Amino acid sequence: MTRRNYATVNPCVMCQPMGSALAFKGIENTIVLYHGSQGCSTYMRLHLAHHFREPVDIGSSALSERGAVYGGRENLKKGLRNVINRYSPKVIGVATTCLAETIGDDVPAIIREFKEEEGIGDDPEKDIIIVPVSTPSYGESHVNGYIKAVNAVVRKFTEKPEDEDKTEGMEEKSPGMKEAPEMKKATNGKINLIPVESLSPADVRELKEILAEMVGDYIFLPDISETFDAPLKEDLPKIASGGTSLSDIADMPNSRASLSLGVVSKNLAVEYLEACHGVPGHNVPIPIGLSNTDRFFTELVHSLGCPIPEKYQKERGRLLDSMVDVHKYLYGVKAAVYGDPDTVFSLVTFMLELGMEPVLVATGSKSRDFEERIRLLFGEIRPELVPTVLDDIDFDTLNDMVKKCKPEILIGNSNGRYIAKAEDIPLVRVGLPIHDRVGAQRILTVGYRGAMELLDRLTNTMLEARDTFTAPLQAHHAKKTASEPGKEQISEGIL
Amino acid sequence: MKENARIVNTLKERQPYIARKQSMEEGIIPLSCDNNSLAGAMSQRACVYSGARVVLNPVTDAVHLVHGPLGCATYTWDIRGAKSSGVETNRNSFTTDMKEIDVVFGGEKKLTMAIDELVELYRPPVVFVYSTCIVGIIGDDLKSVCKTASEKHKIPVIPVQSEGFKGNKSDGYKAACDALKQLIDPGANERRNKVESSTKEEKAEKKPKINILGDFNVAGDVWLVKPLFEKMGIEVIVSMTGDSTAESISRAAEADLNLVQCSGSMTYLAKWMKEEYSIPFIKASFFGIDDISLALRSTAEYFGCEKMEKKAEKILEEETRRIMPEISRIRQRVKGKKAAIYMGGAAKALTLIKGFAELGMEVVIIGTQTGKKEDYEQISYSVRDGTVIVDDANPLELAELLIKQGADLMVAGVKERFIAYKLGVAFCDFNHDRVVEFEGFDGFVNFAREVDASINSPVWKAVRQRTLEPAGEKPAYAEKHLPQILKRSEQLETMKTTEQGMSRKPEMLRKTSLQAAQDSGVESPV
Repeated sequence: MTRRNYATVNPCVMCQPMGSALAFKGIENTIVLYHGSQGCSTYMRLHLAHHFREPVDIGSSALSERGAVYGGRENLKKGLRNVINRYSPKVIGVATTCLAETIGDDVPAIIREFKEEEGIGDDPEKDIIIVPVSTPSYGESHVNGYIKAVNAVVRKFTEKPEDEDKTEGMEEKSPGMKEAPEMKKATNGKINLIPVESLSPADVRELKEILAEMVGDYIFLPDISETFDAPLKEDLPKIASGGTSLSDIADMPNSRASLSLGVVSKNLAVEYLEACHGVPGHNVPIPIGLSNTDRFFTELVHSLGCPIPEKYQKERGRLLDSMVDVHKYLYGVKAAVYGDPDTVFSLVTFMLELGMEPVLVATGSKSRDFEERIRLLFGEIRPELVPTVLDDIDFDTLNDMVKKCKPEILIGNSNGRYIAKAEDIPLVRVGLPIHDRVGAQRILTVGYRGAMELLDRLTNTMLEARDTFTAPLQAHHAKKTASEPGKEQISEGIL
Repeated sequence: MKENARIVNTLKERQPYIARKQSMEEGIIPLSCDNNSLAGAMSQRACVYSGARVVLNPVTDAVHLVHGPLGCATYTWDIRGAKSSGVETNRNSFTTDMKEIDVVFGGEKKLTMAIDELVELYRPPVVFVYSTCIVGIIGDDLKSVCKTASEKHKIPVIPVQSEGFKGNKSDGYKAACDALKQLIDPGANERRNKVESSTKEEKAEKKPKINILGDFNVAGDVWLVKPLFEKMGIEVIVSMTGDSTAESISRAAEADLNLVQCSGSMTYLAKWMKEEYSIPFIKASFFGIDDISLALRSTAEYFGCEKMEKKAEKILEEETRRIMPEISRIRQRVKGKKAAIYMGGAAKALTLIKGFAELGMEVVIIGTQTGKKEDYEQISYSVRDGTVIVDDANPLELAELLIKQGADLMVAGVKERFIAYKLGVAFCDFNHDRVVEFEGFDGFVNFAREVDASINSPVWKAVRQRTLEPAGEKPAYAEKHLPQILKRSEQLETMKTTEQGMSRKPEMLRKTSLQAAQDSGVESPV
């Protein structure tokens, strides 16, 4: 197809408010309210319900024509009032949409006014905390929305009252603007863990388990392990239980270090905690695959000075064992990977470790550092490979590139299924949304166990695919009793 | 509405939207409806754009271009589950992906270029251009861009005025119908009139023609309905919009009769076709034995042809005989169970009441997102005493109703599915997500089987427990703020201002927050 410059065909990202919901949903007793028209909240609820298979309640200020012309002040206040009335949340995350931003509503000011009118203070123990975040769809992608919302929450709960007037606002100010305080002595002995992209509930559970075993005490923000994967119980709470507790968020400045999961996107919350509260921040890739998980553990060991528990040493051993078991099946397999920048970065690392050839590496988000990071990674591990690396793409472009690069396997979210079908390439589902298969909330990719699960899925998918299309070939060879078997030919016998 | 306060615990402003049918009231119940959703009430509705999109999206060979930021297109990509027998251009998601710069300086140029690109790549017979919230605010002139593009490419490029905030989902249906109108070729009507004025012999040879309005071919529904009419000797010109094409829609005015299934979305178009082309319409449903029978009989009756009436009876007899053993078997397994219905439109809700009756089930809750006064009147005639009727419900209301009314099964869409599941209530999707046909005779068998599977699955034995969050224990912060907030809500309600004098020009708003954001140099974290 011809190169398009103006039309986007089959978007490969979601919009900013979606990212903010993914973040806010990981905080205890929190309700999300979109300031905009009714459709935004409904569509995103639908999208998230499809993926997580959980009820997803997101409020809307339901702006009408009148609100759009005169400003959405009254609608937003009414929305807040009704949400408080019905849900009694501890926190309300207010994310703006295109409409609210374009009509020029000053959301922080409206919220200040609302708090004054209702006599709501700033004490998390007694008061409802309202966290505004500016997330118009035309701005950036859901990845940015996620990062911004996490940062807004951390700031809201950790800013000293005297700073509030200066820093409360929709825009993130560069943390560097403040004079960095000296690295201070930790007071709570905890570790902060903040990913830059939404991980699956299973991933969050796995990471929490590792931290519990290694550190004992940690703060994971945002924690969607329960809120987006709630056990079926006798009762249905209005707001799903679980999520990072507010006291933990307020305690983050007292931790001994923050660990940012993700190296491509900037982790604003981690930077803020370092610049304004002196909590040293460390960036590691999302721990997918062997070396990334090693780095994650190494970082924990450095920060904490404790050994890696035997359990994880054994898990690592099992991962190595399984990597050896399958190395032939994955060696040289050409792959196309797409998704959020840091998830893709970590997936590619693992694939290179396995001897796969990620010929096409793409993200739908616009990212300055993505290509450079990926090229550096190839340079370190497989300098002879020159992949196609793209950011800010849509699926139609990806499809064109798939035709060109001819991968044998696709790795990414469910929206790649059209390409998989059109080009007859198997798809291994990772990311969001995954709405055409069950189990999205249980897909584990992080840690040694996650690596093993991913490894098994990749290998089995390749075996499945080759079984079907080498069968006629084998018959052909058998007939002719031709000698040389092809490089890629793997018969079941080898297994 | 004193009694209503006891039906379900909800916001005061929501109480008039929930009512219980009482035997004393002889059918008609007082129920508010057809208003914009309440802020913060967690309505299950979407927006004007969504209404337009769901109606038009099944037009298979059109380029459906969403002029706006990409979110609106992302979440509606291939949303309908509408099947196509030919090309599937509609299963793509096209958007102009407006960025900040387009919002500040206007998106008309980008839209023009996007149309040019897509027309060249896909060679569609028609382009629908949907406007979204910000297009309405910044004031892009969609009509003139589309007109110019139409002339340039010699195909209809049709603006769909669906700014999200300009009304509710029903207004989107109307916007979609307005777009469809432009595709209907008046020439087709002239051909029909020519036949009408022709000789008796010519007329006898002429096959009667109908359109089906408001069937979206979800899971292939239309393919089970069309053959019924064809067997009766009737040509179905087009189903709007399931499995339709620009060409088949253009011939719609050749029809002698319109059958309107989804009345909420299509009555507007049917009325227009009646006025414009003198094509009468009747309401019909192709779900459930009763309603299918009614549809076939009233169609035959309309054409007043004895032969056709006999054919219809023959089809009905054969088909009913064919599926009845299976329906009876399932009826034994599900009869007496209580159903809850929450649908987008009233037509589906109404036909479901009959469908459940055929399975021996009782409806205890019925609601819609976009029902009108007449719809609710009809609903209240059709349901038993004690049934709760609700307009524009929200998750907490639905959850409470499911428990209080003791529902065994809910029929609704994806957002409601997990509310039901969490409460241990069986669920059946009658929206975009189903993968089997529910219309026609075999469709009804599919439905019955799904109802059986949903209700009688052994998983419920393990999990069937149903309570809501224990009431009474409000956290400290709620204790502190709630009384005040409730009081204030009441105060505000009494001071409601009237909607008058919209003097501020939307275009003036274009450069407000955006420029401020740009000036302050917000840095992207990625």
